[in-house]
Amino acid sequence: MSTDPGTPPPQDNRTFQRVLIFFVLILAVMVAIVVATLSNLNRSIATSDWVNHTHALITELDALQPSLAAAEGDLSRYLLTADPRDHSAYQEKFADLGERVAVITALIANAPGEQQQFTPIASLLARRAELASRIANLKKAGDSAALQQLLGDETIRSEQRDLQRRVEKMRETQTSLLTERDRASFQQAQTTRWTALGGVVFEFLLLCGAAWLIRDDLAMRRQAARLLEQTNEQLEAKVRQRTAELTASNEKLVTQNLEDRWAKQALEHQNRYNLLIIDSISDAVFVVTKLMNVSRMNPAAVHLTGCEPATLIDKPIAAFLRLEATAGSATPGFDPLVRTLIEGHELRQQAALLTNKSGATIPCRLNVFPLRDRDKVVGGVVVLQALSSS
Amino acid sequence: MPVALVRLPTVTTAPFHSLFWPRRVLLWLWILASGVAIPAGLEAVTLSELTDNPKLSPKKFASYFSSFAYEFNAPIQSPSAFLQREKGDCDDYSVLADYVLGRNHYTTRLVHVRLAGRVAHAVCYINESKAYLDYNNRAVFFTLTRSGSELREIANKVAASLEASWTTASEFTYSYETRRKTMITTVSKTGGPEEGPPSATNHPSAFNVD
Repeated sequence: MSTDPGTPPPQDNRTFQRVLIFFVLILAVMVAIVVATLSNLNRSIATSDWVNHTHALITELDALQPSLAAAEGDLSRYLLTADPRDHSAYQEKFADLGERVAVITALIANAPGEQQQFTPIASLLARRAELASRIANLKKAGDSAALQQLLGDETIRSEQRDLQRRVEKMRETQTSLLTERDRASFQQAQTTRWTALGGVVFEFLLLCGAAWLIRDDLAMRRQAARLLEQTNEQLEAKVRQRTAELTASNEKLVTQNLEDRWAKQALEHQNRYNLLIIDSISDAVFVVTKLMNVSRMNPAAVHLTGCEPATLIDKPIAAFLRLEATAGSATPGFDPLVRTLIEGHELRQQAALLTNKSGATIPCRLNVFPLRDRDKVVGGVVVLQALSSS
Repeated sequence: MPVALVRLPTVTTAPFHSLFWPRRVLLWLWILASGVAIPAGLEAVTLSELTDNPKLSPKKFASYFSSFAYEFNAPIQSPSAFLQREKGDCDDYSVLADYVLGRNHYTTRLVHVRLAGRVAHAVCYINESKAYLDYNNRAVFFTLTRSGSELREIANKVAASLEASWTTASEFTYSYETRRKTMITTVSKTGGPEEGPPSATNHPSAFNVD
C-alpha cells in the first residue's frame, strides 16, 4: 500500500497532457485567427484603397467636362470683356483641368486598359487647351476674322461630343469596376467576420472540450476518493472488529492465565503438600518406575541408606535392596519386586535386606504398592521399615 | 503672463527649495513654453519681415501663424492678403512657407494630398528638417511633423494625421507672379513605386494656356 508521494499517478499525467494539448490547440487556433484576421484586414484595407481609388477616378472623370466648360466659359468672358481678371480666371481653370488630368494619369498608371481609354481623352483636352491658347493669342493680336473662323469651326463641336462619349464610356467602366471592388470589399468583410466567428466557435468548442476533460477527471477523482473512503471505512470496521476480537481474546487469555496461575499454584501447593506428606513419613519411602528405578526418595530413606538422592535417583532399587527370601539364593530368579509391579498387586510385610552406603545390611520390612494411572501400572511405592535401631 | 512677471521677484527671493514646489515648476514650464511658442511681435507680420529675416527657421516661421484662423479659399491668397487677414487654408500657408523658406536657403517641396471623400490637403516639406509644415499644426507645440522624404511617406503621414485614406499625392510648385500651380509628379496610393520627380521645366504642362 505504500506509494511514493513524489511521483504523480499515471492518470494525473494523462489528464495533464490532455489538458495541455487542448490549451496548445486553443493557442494555435487563436494565433491562426489573429493571423487570418490580420491578413483579411490587410486585404480589406487594400480593397478599400481600390474602392477609394475608383471613387477618386470617377470623381475626377466627372469633374473633367465641368472644369473644361468653366475654363472655356471664363475664356469666352475674357473674349468679351478683355478683363485681366477673366484672363487669370481661365488660366487658373485650365491649370485645374491640367491637375485633374495629371491626377487621372497617376490613378491609371498601372492599368494599360484604362490608359488606352484615357489617352484620347487627355489628347482631346490638351487640344482644347491649345485651342484656348490660340484663341487668346488671336484676341491679344486683335485678329477678329481669324478668331471668328476658329470659333466657328465645326470640329470643336464634334470633338466635344467625342470627349463626352469617351468620358461616359470610361466612367461606365469605372462604375462596373467600382461595383466589382465594392463586392470584393464586402466579401473580404464577410470573410473576416466568418473567420472571427468560426474561430470563436471553435475556441469555444475547444474550451468546452477542455472543461469536459477537467470535469471528467474531477468526477473520476471524486469517485476514486469515494472508493478510497469506502475502503478505508471497511478497513477501519475490520480493524475495529479485529481489535475487539483481540481485546476479548486478551481478556480471555488474561483470565485463563490467571486461572492457570492459580491452578499451577494449587498444583504446586498440592505437590508440596504431597511431598510434605511423603517427607513427613518416618518410614523410608522410595518411588520407583515400572522398571524399579528410583525416581524419588524421602528424608527417611536418605537417612536409612546414607546416600543423597542424587546418587540413587535413576538407579535400580535392586542395587541396594533385596527380599530376604531371595538373599541366599545361588541362582538368581525373576525379581519378585519387578513381578509385583508387572502383575500389579501389592506386596506387604515382606522381610527385606537393605545395604546402606557404608555397606552394612539392614533388615527391613518391605511393602510395595503399585502406582496406577487409569488402571495402568506406571510405577510403584516402596516403603521400608527398619527392624533394628541401627 | 502678467501674473508670472509680477511673481518672479518673489520666486527669486524665496528659499531655494521653494523653487521646486509643484506650482513653481508649472509656472516655470508655462513661462518657458510661452517664450518658445509666442512670437516677439503681437502685430500682424509682413512678408518683408519674413523674407528679410535670415535666421528664420521653419519652427519660427510656424510660430507666426499660431493665432491665424482657418478659412477655405479656392484660389490661393496673395501673401499680403493672407498675412493681413490672418485667415486662410492649408494652400495659403504651404505656398507661403515654400516661398519664404525657399528664399532662406531651405529646400522645400509643396505636396498636395488628396483624401477619400474630403478636401485635399497641402503641406510644405522641408528637406533639411526632414519634416513638413502643416497649417493644422500651426497652434500646437510640435509645428513640424517629421516624415520620410518620399511622396508616399508624406502622404501616409498626412492622411494618418487626419485619420483618413489618401488616394493621390502630387508634388507641385506655385508662382505668386503667374498665380499658376505646376504639377511636378503625382502618385496614387494603389500605384507602383514612386518614380523620381520629373523636372517641371522639362515637361511644360499642355494646360498652361496663354
